[in-house]
Amino acid sequence: MRFPSLLRKLRKIAGRDAVLERREDLLLYEYDAGIHRGEPRAVVFPQTTEQVAEIVSLCHQEKIAIVPRGAGTGLSGGSLARNGAVVLGFSRMNRILEIDPANLRAVVQPGVVNLELSQAAEKHGLYFAPDPSSQKSCTIGGNVAENSGGPHTLANGVTVNHVTGVEVVLADGSVVEFGGKAADGPGYDLTGFFTGSEGTLGIATKIIVRLCRLPESVATLLAIYNTIEDAAQSVVAITAAGVTPSALELLDGWTLRTVEAATGAGYPLDSGAVLLIEVEGLAEQVEESAEAIAAVCRKQRAREVRRARNERERQLLWAGRKNAFGAIGRISPSYYVQDGVIPRTRIPETLRHIESVAKKYSLTIGNIFHAGDGNLHPLILFDSRDADQTRRTLAAGEEILTWCISVGGSITGEHGVGMEKNELMPKLFSESDLEVMRRLHDAFNPESLLNPQKIFPTAHGCREVAASPQLTQAVTGGMPS
Amino acid sequence: MSAPAEAALDLGRELAARVGAAHVVTDAETRSAHAVDGVTPQCVVEPADAAEVAAVLRFASENDLVVVPSGNGSKLESGLVPERVDIVLRTRRLNTLEFYDPGDLTIGAGVGMTLAELDAKLAPNQQFLPLDAAHGNETTLGGALATAARGPLRHAYGSARDYCIGMRFVTGDGLIVQGGGRVVKNVAGYDLMKLLIGSHGTLGVIVSANFKLFPRPRAESLRTFACSFPTMDEALAFRDHLLRSPLTPVCLDLVSPRAQEYLEDAGTAREVEDIEPGEQRPAPVAHWRVLIRAAGSERVLARYRREMGGDVRELEGKAEADEWSKLSNFAARVLERHHNGMILQLSAPTAEVASALQAAESAALDNNLLPAAIGRAGAGTLLIAFIPLSVDPPSAMQYANAVSALRASLPYGASAWVTHAPREARLRFNVWGTSPTDLDCMREVKHALDPKNILNRGRYMV
Repeated sequence: MRFPSLLRKLRKIAGRDAVLERREDLLLYEYDAGIHRGEPRAVVFPQTTEQVAEIVSLCHQEKIAIVPRGAGTGLSGGSLARNGAVVLGFSRMNRILEIDPANLRAVVQPGVVNLELSQAAEKHGLYFAPDPSSQKSCTIGGNVAENSGGPHTLANGVTVNHVTGVEVVLADGSVVEFGGKAADGPGYDLTGFFTGSEGTLGIATKIIVRLCRLPESVATLLAIYNTIEDAAQSVVAITAAGVTPSALELLDGWTLRTVEAATGAGYPLDSGAVLLIEVEGLAEQVEESAEAIAAVCRKQRAREVRRARNERERQLLWAGRKNAFGAIGRISPSYYVQDGVIPRTRIPETLRHIESVAKKYSLTIGNIFHAGDGNLHPLILFDSRDADQTRRTLAAGEEILTWCISVGGSITGEHGVGMEKNELMPKLFSESDLEVMRRLHDAFNPESLLNPQKIFPTAHGCREVAASPQLTQAVTGGMPS
Repeated sequence: MSAPAEAALDLGRELAARVGAAHVVTDAETRSAHAVDGVTPQCVVEPADAAEVAAVLRFASENDLVVVPSGNGSKLESGLVPERVDIVLRTRRLNTLEFYDPGDLTIGAGVGMTLAELDAKLAPNQQFLPLDAAHGNETTLGGALATAARGPLRHAYGSARDYCIGMRFVTGDGLIVQGGGRVVKNVAGYDLMKLLIGSHGTLGVIVSANFKLFPRPRAESLRTFACSFPTMDEALAFRDHLLRSPLTPVCLDLVSPRAQEYLEDAGTAREVEDIEPGEQRPAPVAHWRVLIRAAGSERVLARYRREMGGDVRELEGKAEADEWSKLSNFAARVLERHHNGMILQLSAPTAEVASALQAAESAALDNNLLPAAIGRAGAGTLLIAFIPLSVDPPSAMQYANAVSALRASLPYGASAWVTHAPREARLRFNVWGTSPTDLDCMREVKHALDPKNILNRGRYMV
């Protein structure tokens, strides 16, 4: 189909003001919060499931690729267009359709912002548990696509543990429903399978999520250490002690100083590392758990364990964590965030390994991560205008992920594979693993029109990524979780 | 269905070449002991590892042989009655511990291991897998995963879909596949575990699985508060109060008056037919109970005591543990006494539990059946036993009628599938229920993982 004719048809489906095609308008949609870019041929903003189905059906007939996109806060290029795809922007499908407190459920359109759902549920004493650091802007649709996590998923589970049903537009434009408000029904768990499939199996147009009861009591602790080694050992000891915090975050000395300079969260500048720990639940239980955790930290040579005395202090401690990536954006033109996962018993040696990788490639790598579930976020600082630095950054990133695999871990805990780590998949999965995943992909998306060239390794290999025209010039606004 | 002796001999030899002669059984007695719903396999095979499972499945796929995967066979009667079974593939030799990292709270094990065997490895470290399915001594990990089995701990810990972090399985055409991994958080690749869990052996033979573990609540910190109410509505109102409260109990179960009889110890409950004419019948238990299991210090437990309602009885120690083990084994306790009983798993949105229970009550009573219900009242997952009247037992068609009537009157979003019913009855209705809207997608998934449709052919919804 000639391009102008496609645009005309898209406008006839979604409305005259719902299609962008001018170069300057498309620029904004070339990015996510990660380091890749991809130029869409057009962006269309549907408002209803029917419009999505009609657009998908049109693109199916014309063999044009489609990439769904929420707020573009992803970190693995999941919402970026490859192959001149049309981007389906969900910012106009942003209504909370129902809050159903009696069933502890909400029904939302995919463009609903994560935090707005929790705010809407608050008057019923409920909230949506997954809390990526980008929760002020990221969308539930994006959370479902990537199976997003966040600091509090340690105790509460990631997105898939909170999705009970989805309405999905399939590759041919037909609409199906998986799951519903009830849990544990018979049949294959297509809801669970769909969640985290990164937009490659279908496009969610309605999502049913579980809402959780807001805890009665929350205790937030800041354990301060002279060395990162002691902080890492504390994580191992807390896990082994059988107390499950709702969040357990680690910031190394370099990162906490950078964050402190930007946010004034109250992290001591002379410390080697801090742990930000939260416990929530029944008041009596929270008191006991907080004491038990503080005791473990002291035993592991924490030089001080502070406790937020009120909500303001609590918010301040979290502000440091949640705004960390913005803080780093102030001092480095670009950064590359990794998302590897390791068994929690391997945290101390893994941090030593990351340090050695930084030395080897002459790079600065900060560490700020979900220590409680072993989900690392090494942050490699670089200047993407410098080809050599970029090359070293990508090589260092790959070396860290290869290490994670070697200790029994994974290349991504919550950011997704996307177009960032798809070439690494063969390091983690065998040929037959990938073949079976590919068969399932083809069962839903036989012509690869839905989010093409994501998750699966392409024929080109990593060279294409490393060649850099796809890398963004500066990354400062991203807020990985 | 028995095949010609010659074919059985060939099949035996072919399989022996793949798993060793000692692990292929073709004698008539063993075969009939492994009959699936009255359909006798040609052969029972026990592979030692994933490679042998793959060899068997490849062979079966190439020769259009129907395979039924089985652990200890405790759940084999759920599903539709098969037309043909060629090979029963037993997983009990796949029982090795692959890794256990207590510091990381993760474990990986072969699926032939029973829940009790796994638990024994975890107990010394004060850890556990909150999978309290029935018959822990017999139920294998594979059987529990394939049937998405769960028990009362479902309330606080979710189900296998929430804590199974990795899995190795063999597809119908013999590919060995790994999904997920060993770490507690992982989004690399498609989440294949979600498909296999609850697929009733139709998508692949699971050979090993990795789990995230949890700290085991100390026995002395556990209490159960049994709160009795004269009516279902009052019991459910109390459940709603609990769900709105800040309490975070480990279990929250509802028990109907008739179900209570099956939780009493053997000997105390009396069969209707045991009662002599003219003898005064014992007063039937008439109350609904809400059982709340809590773990914590004295201070925490004191807080629970303050929040309880109805007529409360507090259990601790062995009595406490026994109560939950009986609840886990409720279906078996009913079937022990009524081999012709029917068990349904009913899933409903939380607020629709009352209307679902009412639907079950009238569907049963209209068809010479008596309903007894227990279940996870918070999650909306209930087990309902339809107990046949002993004086005038229902016909096979009445079982079917009861299920149809129940399904027709269930509230929106609820579903009921029959996990156990007499074979004669199951031939007359679909145990899985009406076709869901995503049936075509399920067929696609089935075709992708079992292209020749050899796994549990004809027993599932696709």
